[in-house]
Amino acid sequence: MANLRTVQLPEELCVKAESWLKGRFDSMEGLLGFLLEEIIKDEGAKLDQREEEIVQQRLRDLGYI
Amino acid sequence: MRRHSLVLVTVDCLRADHVGFQGYTSSVTPFLDSLAKNSIVFSDAVVAGAPTYFSFPAIMASRYPLGLGREVLGIAPDEPTIATALQRSGYVTAAFLAGNPYLSPRFGYDQGFDKFHDFLDSSLSGVSTIPSPLGNSRFSRWNRDLEAITARSRLTAAAYHEFYFRYCQWRSASEDLSLDQLRRYPAADVLIDRACSWLKGLHDQPFFLWIHLMDPHHPYYPPQEALSSIGMSNMSARRARFLNSFWNRGDVGPGRLRRHKAEILSLYDAGVYWVDKQLSRLVDVLHQMQRWDETVFVVTADHGEEFLEHGERYHSPTNLPEQLIHVPLLVHSSEVDGMMISNGLFSLIHLAPTLLGALGIDVPNTFQGTDFWEQVRAGTLSNEPAVAECVDGCNNPLEVNDRIRPRILAVRDLDYKLVIRFSEQKDCLYDLKNDPAECSPVPSEVLTAERIRLLKVAGKHLKTTITGRNLDLVSRSRLRDLRHAIDLKRAGTLSS
Repeated sequence: MANLRTVQLPEELCVKAESWLKGRFDSMEGLLGFLLEEIIKDEGAKLDQREEEIVQQRLRDLGYI
Repeated sequence: MRRHSLVLVTVDCLRADHVGFQGYTSSVTPFLDSLAKNSIVFSDAVVAGAPTYFSFPAIMASRYPLGLGREVLGIAPDEPTIATALQRSGYVTAAFLAGNPYLSPRFGYDQGFDKFHDFLDSSLSGVSTIPSPLGNSRFSRWNRDLEAITARSRLTAAAYHEFYFRYCQWRSASEDLSLDQLRRYPAADVLIDRACSWLKGLHDQPFFLWIHLMDPHHPYYPPQEALSSIGMSNMSARRARFLNSFWNRGDVGPGRLRRHKAEILSLYDAGVYWVDKQLSRLVDVLHQMQRWDETVFVVTADHGEEFLEHGERYHSPTNLPEQLIHVPLLVHSSEVDGMMISNGLFSLIHLAPTLLGALGIDVPNTFQGTDFWEQVRAGTLSNEPAVAECVDGCNNPLEVNDRIRPRILAVRDLDYKLVIRFSEQKDCLYDLKNDPAECSPVPSEVLTAERIRLLKVAGKHLKTTITGRNLDLVSRSRLRDLRHAIDLKRAGTLSS
């Protein structure tokens, strides 16, 4: 199991968020985990890296680098 | 002395080679042609991306379309734009946009505008030219079954599609709809009326007015008056409806489509003519208000349009040919006497900073382009290569997965153009001087130095994309998208 970290949030904020997202998430942990995953995921970055490698390889093939 | 004001007119789908001041021989832009005689005309203006959703981040925020990653669509929350820069400098700002959903507040385009009217609430939703096959009536189900059965062989599939098209034409023939009823977007006269009303309500403040016109966008349903003015008074609404339906067919090859290309081009040109005529009215109003001399007036496009030159129609991001990336650009300013042709290459990534330069306003430091106003005025614009990019085949950018695909990247200078299609790991070099239609890529063993030079520009562009990403703007955008997704879900829950 992954290591866990405890975070503290204002009670009022948690109550508001739970009310706003009623039924969508089982817990505040589920909500925060979902939000953080969504914000940091970056599928496109892998493509950017790959595309830069393709250009570098092409330059190597042409004898430039 | 009053500060300069700015009018930015962007015309959806307007090709550089369909305006008279850039060489079109049919007289569809008489007003702009006369205006060009006292303006700067950029002979080689190139968009930074195509279509609309990959072009406007550069026009408004001077940022390459994939500069914040493929996940981000539109302008990021709080991302500086030409509008926010002018608003902060005391300009009163307004935008009137002809119902393009990609230029809505959902994608941040309202930022910096005191008044923002996107006409997306308009009742002008148009009439579908093809009855929906997705219904659940007995006939629809029977039709879907028939389509599936006939799809088993090419011959029966072709027969089915021909029959279905003719059936749709027969159905639509019973509806006697006018061109105005068929149109999907508000025509330029509607937008210009609103813009003029707004202008007339202004006091003495400098202003920024952005108008986005959709008249040349498909389906091509120009006003009857525009058709008559370009000598097509015999074109009926029914004929236009047939032509648009036929042109939209996915089951017909370029050979059959070409039979109707001339008529389709007439419909498109009539849309361009209507834009030209309405812009003339707008300029008249600025004259009447005695604000013309202080106004920098700009006309450009977000991308062009294809008419089978490379087998494609419309402006899908499946390639970046000249028909899509080369756009008209005209800048009228009282500082310019006579016609000035700017022969250097000019990427629209530089448009916003250059216009801010013309107005004497500081350029936000997030802008990726450069203020070239002094070089443009002096006629010393450099020929730095321009980069245009899009996500290969991304026709539904509202679907994130449709954006997570390889790029197409074009690097263009005045003589050569390199197009890299990353999905195929293939690059094609075109010699634009000898092959302006991009018919035959140069063999890979020829012009190696040119290929390397443009590949280096591509490599530098990709490196900047990876290392220079503004993570603050990226996270703001993602939070906006999440909020939108949750709002949609909640709305669904509440309505069910």
